[in-house]
Amino acid sequence: MGRLLPLVKGEFDRLNKYNLFTANFVVLLFWVGLAFFFEGEELKMFVPVIFLMDSTMMTIMLVGASLFYEKQEHTMNSIMISPVTEDEYLFSKVIVGVLNSLITVIFISAALYFVKGVIYNYLLLIPAIIIVTVVHTMIGIRLSYHAKSFSSLLVNFMVYIFLFLLPTVFATLGIIDANLAKYLIVLPPEISSILIGALARDVELWKLLFGYTYLSVLSFVLYRFMIKPKFNEYIMRETGV
Amino acid sequence: MFKVRNLRFKYPSSKEYTINGIDFEIKNGEIFGFLGPSAAGKSTVQKILIKLLKGFEGEIEYYGKPLLSYNDEFYQDIGVSFEMPISFSKLTAMENLDFFKKLYKQTVDVEPLLKRVGLWDDRDKKAGEYSKGMKIRLNFIRALLNKPKMLFLDEPTNGLDPGNARIMKDMILEFKKQGGTVFITSHIMSDIDELCDRVAFIADGKLREVDTPRNLKIKYGKRMVKVEYKEEGSLIVREFSMNEIKTSAFCELLRDKDIETLHSGETTLEEIFIKVTGVTLRG
Ligand SMILES: Nc1ncnc2c1ncn2[C@@H]1O[C@H](COP(=O)(O)OP(=O)(O)OP(=O)(O)O)[C@@H](O)[C@H]1O
Ligand SMILES: [Mg+2]
Repeated sequence: MGRLLPLVKGEFDRLNKYNLFTANFVVLLFWVGLAFFFEGEELKMFVPVIFLMDSTMMTIMLVGASLFYEKQEHTMNSIMISPVTEDEYLFSKVIVGVLNSLITVIFISAALYFVKGVIYNYLLLIPAIIIVTVVHTMIGIRLSYHAKSFSSLLVNFMVYIFLFLLPTVFATLGIIDANLAKYLIVLPPEISSILIGALARDVELWKLLFGYTYLSVLSFVLYRFMIKPKFNEYIMRETGV
Repeated sequence: MFKVRNLRFKYPSSKEYTINGIDFEIKNGEIFGFLGPSAAGKSTVQKILIKLLKGFEGEIEYYGKPLLSYNDEFYQDIGVSFEMPISFSKLTAMENLDFFKKLYKQTVDVEPLLKRVGLWDDRDKKAGEYSKGMKIRLNFIRALLNKPKMLFLDEPTNGLDPGNARIMKDMILEFKKQGGTVFITSHIMSDIDELCDRVAFIADGKLREVDTPRNLKIKYGKRMVKVEYKEEGSLIVREFSMNEIKTSAFCELLRDKDIETLHSGETTLEEIFIKVTGVTLRG
């Protein structure tokens, strides 16, 4: 595992050189700008959305972009013919995703404090951010397997959001009845939203416990059965190394 | 070093076997050339030997043990240069090499290597701004980063100017002199002829020949000598078999006539390539 450090460092270096940090930062500024217009209860509703979007959507974008570049430039092959194992390589992506989300937490929290003077329950936010980011890094990697280009990754992402968010929207609108809506908690965006929402509103303990356990198991299952077995095939596919 | 027996391989997306039952051996300390027409499966074989393509049939042994029984530490031992450029385009050449260096236990000082291939002055240029030949030279240095025992070079001189090709060939020969083993593919027959101890020809998924370039030239050449000389203003061409060259007819010819050219009938690797694979060289 001694190679994780150079992998993670290298990844950060590249996020910087490939201007992905800059892109991320612009989005964060946009969020802070929006937050400026909210007050009181509204702000309380809005802040979790920032963290949710960052740890789900931004996480998928960043890991997708980094895989896309490595595939396009074949550097993935160059890494795989070094002593780096597939596990080390994939873990480094997860670690980078988590660190990025935590950087966002620090940046947004500081900005909100200075602009709005508000402090939230970060004790509940940080573990939520970590688990949500881990799951979504996995989802991002898995979506990349199917993407022929970066734009098709975006399309995959839209489909993912659409499929998983739609039931939640239906439930809110009352199209799905309340009894059935209870089970929506098993959808990753829904449970992610509940866990992150805990920073600003009260959430029942069982939901938190269920959420953390469920997302941990889901991460493991995704990794073990959907990501690892297909990874070699993904490396070798298309362009023909 | 490598023993390959009845190797067969099919890409998941294709119906037919790209590699259809081949056997060969790569001996410690030799330069082994792998030749064949475009799309014959040379790069595929290289990718199998470096454990990138895993779903093969047949046996591959590396130092007497099945190749797939080695874990990723196997990669400490080998250096690979792919047929296409492989570097992070927005990082400089030096940043690229520094990143990959950190993944190995044992590494080399890249300065003399970069100087040798003429990239030292451009080391802080982004790899994406490199010319084709510069990218290929950078690939080669990447392959040497970890002091490998064995090199896999997929068309390493393709796209290099003669001067740079010369330097790279010298470096490959020096690598061998220091005990290294090399697996190399190329379409440039003169390079193969100069570098390789043994060559294999692949076509239609099968190996057609595996031997030293010299043996192949004798096998496929004609055992004869061709003489061209002038007689009364006109050019005469005569052929003698190797058995005839001790006869007085041949000796008198050499003594009495104005000989213009004298060729032995040994053939070139290029001609052997065409004969063995049934295809003309590309490019
Ligand atoms: N990733 C892949 N998926 C499916 N088929 C592939 C893949 N890579 C190569 N092939 C096919 O396998 C065959 C052999 O390809 P390979 O790259 O090994 O040829 P090659 O001998 O190296 O040719 P060249 O001299 O042009 O480099 C070709 O028909 C090619 O289309
Ligand atoms: Mg090839």
